[in-house]
Amino acid sequence: MSYVEVNNLAKAFGDSKVFADINFSISQGEFVTLLGPSGCGKSTLLRCLAGLETVDHGNITVGGDDITDLAPQRRGIAMVFQSYALFPNMNVIDNIAFGLRMQKLSEDEVQRRVKEGVELVELNGRESHYPHQLSGGQRQRVALARSLVMKPRILLLDEPLSALDARIRRSLREQIRLIQQDLQLTTIFVTHDQEEALTMSDRIFLMNEGQIVQSGTAEEIYTEPADSFVAGFIGNYNLLDQQQAKALIDVETNHQLAIRPESILIRTMSPSDGGNYSAPIQATVKSSMLLGNVIRYRMEAEHGELVVDLLNRSSERLVSRGTALELQVNLDEIREVA
Amino acid sequence: MNSNSNRIHYVVVYSLFAILLLPLLSTALYSLASQWGATILPDSLTFDWYIQLWSDPRFLQAFGHSVLICLAALALGTILTVPTIFVVFYYFPKLHWVMNILILLPFAVPPVVSSVGLLQLYAGEPLQLIGTPWILIFTYFTIALPFMYRAIANSMQALNLKDLMDAAHLLGASTFRAFLLVIIPNIRKGLMVSLFLSFSFLFGEFVFANILVGTRYETLQVYLFNMRQTSGHFTSAIVISYFVFVLIFTWIANRLNK
Repeated sequence: MSYVEVNNLAKAFGDSKVFADINFSISQGEFVTLLGPSGCGKSTLLRCLAGLETVDHGNITVGGDDITDLAPQRRGIAMVFQSYALFPNMNVIDNIAFGLRMQKLSEDEVQRRVKEGVELVELNGRESHYPHQLSGGQRQRVALARSLVMKPRILLLDEPLSALDARIRRSLREQIRLIQQDLQLTTIFVTHDQEEALTMSDRIFLMNEGQIVQSGTAEEIYTEPADSFVAGFIGNYNLLDQQQAKALIDVETNHQLAIRPESILIRTMSPSDGGNYSAPIQATVKSSMLLGNVIRYRMEAEHGELVVDLLNRSSERLVSRGTALELQVNLDEIREVA
Repeated sequence: MNSNSNRIHYVVVYSLFAILLLPLLSTALYSLASQWGATILPDSLTFDWYIQLWSDPRFLQAFGHSVLICLAALALGTILTVPTIFVVFYYFPKLHWVMNILILLPFAVPPVVSSVGLLQLYAGEPLQLIGTPWILIFTYFTIALPFMYRAIANSMQALNLKDLMDAAHLLGASTFRAFLLVIIPNIRKGLMVSLFLSFSFLFGEFVFANILVGTRYETLQVYLFNMRQTSGHFTSAIVISYFVFVLIFTWIANRLNK
């Protein structure tokens, strides 16, 4: 029996449909990500779960209780916002204590749980600071603590990392995941960043235009994209149509072929691994981009453009624009997509 | 070159300041002079005019009337505008343009014109308010409205109202408690500044006070007007007392604004 059940959920603003026929279930303690481009309905879906928006159709149950029509105050759901939404007139302690005080807990209990919360997000020494005295990462940790001390049944995270710089984003990402696993907290995370989704989630629901187009673990979604949208959204897949597939790698298909950039090798540079490779394809380098541990080449072949990722082992590998090379595609790793 | 042009700026600013200050200084000096006739400087200085003024029961009463009417008008303004602005911002953002027109109306109609209208409306039954302090309280509320609305609306705009309310709701607060505990404290500064500034200019309002109420409930400005035939030293003392009082209020407003 799953913990969270969403059945046939639908929502429209006036005439414009936000999402429809949303169905999914989540187990207790699971970290689930709603991933999708902006405007796909993921944030509105999250706000419906929180009770901040009403739904037009369908129902939501948590632990067997139907919460579809409950006020947000009574759902036992906590939420962290992209804008932090800290109360500017309160210091760290009062922000974290706000929800506990609303529950009319004794002040001793409030102080004890606030202290736990502060320690959990490692904000010791900042208790009496006001939000404007904190950095973005610290603010979001206060917001996280404010949600966690409520001991919510579900934690909702609405793009909590999007306003932070890259380094803070990575460390906070890990911290959130660790805390979530420690507390075994059922968590729904909304993001448009595929890297965040792939690294953090137990399961990903990929959304597009108000539909969940694919759900699965990070690995399933990454290696087995269900359609060309997923392939395009996750992992920079090369998409080949029927003619291109035939011409480039001599494969017959009725749909499209998705090829990951790392399953193409450059003949003179990549070590051969005895895989099942296509015949060499002649191509010239159009551009190269250094992505840290990976170099991404954009190659121009006769029948189309291919993106090739190469592990960045030494600078000798940096090939300049216009160089002619031979490519081979690992035929075991191509996927047919609708 | 740079320090030279700087000096010119200073000269311009300070000259302007001096020109504006001159009448005030001479009034202040005049209010402190026992006699000031055919000489360049007064014969002798005295606090007599101030002692006489501040022991005149009619002045004290007028002063009290002014304070009372201004405070009542501002209290009414706060009670009516703060929740209204919240409701407009939170529930009906589409009504912004209506509010913007509404708060411009008091500017659009000159006081002399609107006081004639008010006289017509409230001179007789069923609502006979002319000559009572009530008409001034309601009228002053309308004059202060644009200033209060703008200041409070700006503070509200600076807040991430939707997310703050959502967060408060999810943490268990009702809309009313969220408004009280989260929104009010965050617009308090803007509200206080607007209250102090509004108080300062309402305190000096003359046209409405004179036409609508006059001596039946004498305010400070009407008192000053009625005293115009008495000694110039005495009226100077009124002006300076008024000025110092307003100066203190404006100064507090500025301090709050920092």
